[in-house]
This record gives sequence, C-alpha cells and structure tokens, in this order.
Amino acid sequence: MGERGWQKHIVPLLPPRIRTALAALPPEVARELEEIRLRAGQPLLLQTGRGEFFSGERGVAGSAAEALRLTAAELQQVLLAMTEFSLYARDEELKRGYLALPGGHRAGFAGRTVLEDGRVKLLRDINAVNIRIARQIKGAALQLLPHVYCRQKKRVYHTLLVSPPQAGKTTMLRDLARLLSDGDAREGRPGLKVGIVDERSEIAGCFRGEPQLDVGMRTDVLDGCPKAEGMMMLIRSMSPQVLVADELGRPEDVRAVEEAVTTGASVITTAHGENPAELIKRPGLAYLLENAFFERVVVLSRRHGPGTIEAVYAGEAVRKWWRTEDRSNVG
Amino acid sequence: MWAKAFGAMLILSATILWGNMEIAKLRGRLRQLEEFRLALRLLAAEVGYTATPLPRALEQVACRMETEAVQSFFLSVTRRLQGAAAADAGTAWLETARCLQNRLQLTAKDWAVLSRAAAGLGGLGREDQLKQLSAAEAQLADHAAAAAAQAASGEKMWRYLGVLTGMAVVILLL
Repeated sequence: MGERGWQKHIVPLLPPRIRTALAALPPEVARELEEIRLRAGQPLLLQTGRGEFFSGERGVAGSAAEALRLTAAELQQVLLAMTEFSLYARDEELKRGYLALPGGHRAGFAGRTVLEDGRVKLLRDINAVNIRIARQIKGAALQLLPHVYCRQKKRVYHTLLVSPPQAGKTTMLRDLARLLSDGDAREGRPGLKVGIVDERSEIAGCFRGEPQLDVGMRTDVLDGCPKAEGMMMLIRSMSPQVLVADELGRPEDVRAVEEAVTTGASVITTAHGENPAELIKRPGLAYLLENAFFERVVVLSRRHGPGTIEAVYAGEAVRKWWRTEDRSNVG
Repeated sequence: MWAKAFGAMLILSATILWGNMEIAKLRGRLRQLEEFRLALRLLAAEVGYTATPLPRALEQVACRMETEAVQSFFLSVTRRLQGAAAADAGTAWLETARCLQNRLQLTAKDWAVLSRAAAGLGGLGREDQLKQLSAAEAQLADHAAAAAAQAASGEKMWRYLGVLTGMAVVILLL
C-alpha cells in the first residue's frame, strides 16, 4: 500500500472540516500516521510513531486549545459514511465495535450500547472513533522466517507470536503468511497453501470480502468468521498447509487447533502479553503451551520500533520459557 | 352550419380529453403506489437477505421499476448518497421527494407515508429497518386499495363528465 494511501480511502469518509485539517498535515506526519482519534467535544488527535499531535484547521496545532473540536453529529456522520449510510449492512461488525474500511484500514467505535438478552444488539450515540491506519510492511518477517520454516522437512513450525499491543504482531503475522504463501524459488522454498481466519479483518484487511493487503498468492481468507469455526471450515474446504489466526485463546479454539494438527496443518497465531504470567490468564492458550503444542514462541516488542524480535524460543526452550521464563535459551 | 358542427366537435373532443386526463391521473396514482409498494418490498429483500448497502440497493430497485418517474426517484436518491455532500439517507430521500413531487401523481397523504419511510433510513439495525419498510409498505397498500376503489368509480364518472360537460357547453352555445 502507498505511504499515503490512507488519504485516498479514509479522507472521503470524513466531514469537510476534518478533511481540510488532514489535507493540511505536514508530509512527515501524514506519512507516519498510525491513528486518527475523533472524540465528541474533544480535540482531534493524531498518533504517529513519534508521538501524539493535535490537529488544527491548518495542520498540526500547538496545543489542545488550538485544535479542532469535533461534535457528536460529525461523529455520527463519520459512522454513516463508513457504513455507506446503511448501518444494517454492517451491524454484525458494529456489534463488535469496529468496521473494516477500504484499503485495509479499520475504525473502532465507542458510544452507547443497546443490549438484548445481555448481548450487544446495537451501538448508537457514537462518542468516539479511532481510525487505525493499516500499514503493510513487506519483508517485516524475513528475519523471522528461518526460525518458523524448516528447510529440511519443508514444513512450518507451530508458532506463537507474543507481544504487548501495537508491537507489530499482526504486521509480522501478515508478512509471514505472505512469505510462506508466495514461497521463493531462488531459495528453494516452495509456496504453501495458507488459510487465514481473519475474525476482525485485521490480518488481510478485507473489505467486502476482498483482501486489501497482500497476504500471498496461495492464501485463502475467511473474513469475519469466529476462529474455531473458521479453522474447521478451512480445513474441510481448502486443505491448508498453514493455518493463520490472530489471538487464539478460547477453549473452542484449542479444539480446532487439535483438529488442524491431525490434518497436518501448521498453526501460526498471536497472543497479547509480554510473559507467561500474562498468557496464563487465557485458559485455551495456557493449555496449548502447557502441552508443548507450540514449537516456536517469538517475543516481539517496540524497543527498536514495532516488530522488534526480542527472543525466539525453540523446542524444549519453549517449555522452559513457559515454566521459568528463562531467557538464556534464545534460539 | 359546417362551422358550428366543427366547433361543437372541437368542444366535445376537448372535454372528453379532459375527462380522460383525469382518468389517467387516477390510474397513474394507482400504478405509482403499486410501484412504490413493490420498490419497498424489493428494498426490504436487499436489506434483509443480502444486507446490500443503500446506494447499491436503491440502484438495483430502480432498475426493476417500470414507471420512469418512480425509477428516477430511486436513482436520484442513489446519486445524492454517492455525492460528497450527502448527510444521511433520510435527507437524500426527502430532498428527492421534494424535487420530484410534481412529476408523480401521488397525493399529499401518499407523500406523507413515503416521507415517514425516510425516517431513520439506513440508520437502524437490520430488524428495525425491515420493520420500518414493512410498515410503510402496509400503509401504501391501504392507500393503493383506496386508490383502486377511487379509480373504479372515478373512471366512469370522469368519462360521463367529459362527454356531458362537452354536450352542455355545445347546447349552451347553440
């Protein structure tokens, strides 16, 4: 995706005042933009890799007082434009609090929830919108590939990517899927059939079912589907060699993973957290780690920017890391 | 003599034409009400079964309309929604109704029903949207039934009225 591709996809969905403000942004801010935060009655905030900026009518504002303040009506207008004036068409996504946008970008929403039988039926009276700019970094996982792919056996290890939020897990996962799917004839690495279960449309950035980000030529994407159900569907219908899913952790996910293993598919997934103490809170994931399912655990951080590989645990070292978090066994 | 006969024929033709125009209006209203009912049912199907976003759903509905004025209505709403200045679907619907009111044979009461259909259009969840479209369609069905009865009795009346008015004028002038 082009560095400023977000402007083509996102700006037309915004009210005129915000369009003007974003058009006046300095190129370096526009290039590095990660999030656009819109809150009713609050200043327009922009998040980049270098920090947070206020946005005024004529580009970056020096303080909150000079920044553009948004109204609830403008936020409602944003929601309507993002759903093509058809909330009913995206109500399943809205129940989960986000919308996939063209170009692979996403918008998260907060507001008043309407409940039915204790479950969210509708999100209304929107008071905050967080637009997350998707950035595909091709080659982000090149460094990781030799740890995940076994040349001799020509197979992919069951791999878990672990990191705190916004440390590049999904970017890494997407690029791994692309690299494994495309293969590399020069390196003698054949392309593999990859199946992605993209429950929150984050990995492939699907819009109307079509991947907006490059996830490889042999990749099948099941968009907006619960992970456990999606994995079973892909196994039955697309016979993937590699199954990719974000954030496994529920008990039903574990059953699907176990089923995947019997078909010979390798599983690559991610988990929020920095250490085993945080991961143990997710029973499904804890079960898989306890039973040494994962052959590789990759710990990522933002230390040198998103996607910094802190450690790669292999084989027995995974078990030790899980039990003792011993960092001396870095692969 | 011939001039008088020719004049009488002209007067009679004019009043018959006037009667036929009134009949056409009655039939036109009925046809348009039925077309709007069909359109709302098709729109409900697009919303309920395929969750098609409004601009595309309305365009597809327009393609299946036979009456040019009703087709224009749905195409116009679509164009307004696709424009950069669109605020919401309800506003686009009401603005279109205002612009095309004179091109259709509908009454103020019919327009009131169609305007109510615009309230919350596109701004509701699927179930609520379907309920709203269904309620508007049911109201239009009542209007269509009344229009059909009115057309059945009105047609005869306007046909006689056209001929009799013409004859009365001719007799008065003779």
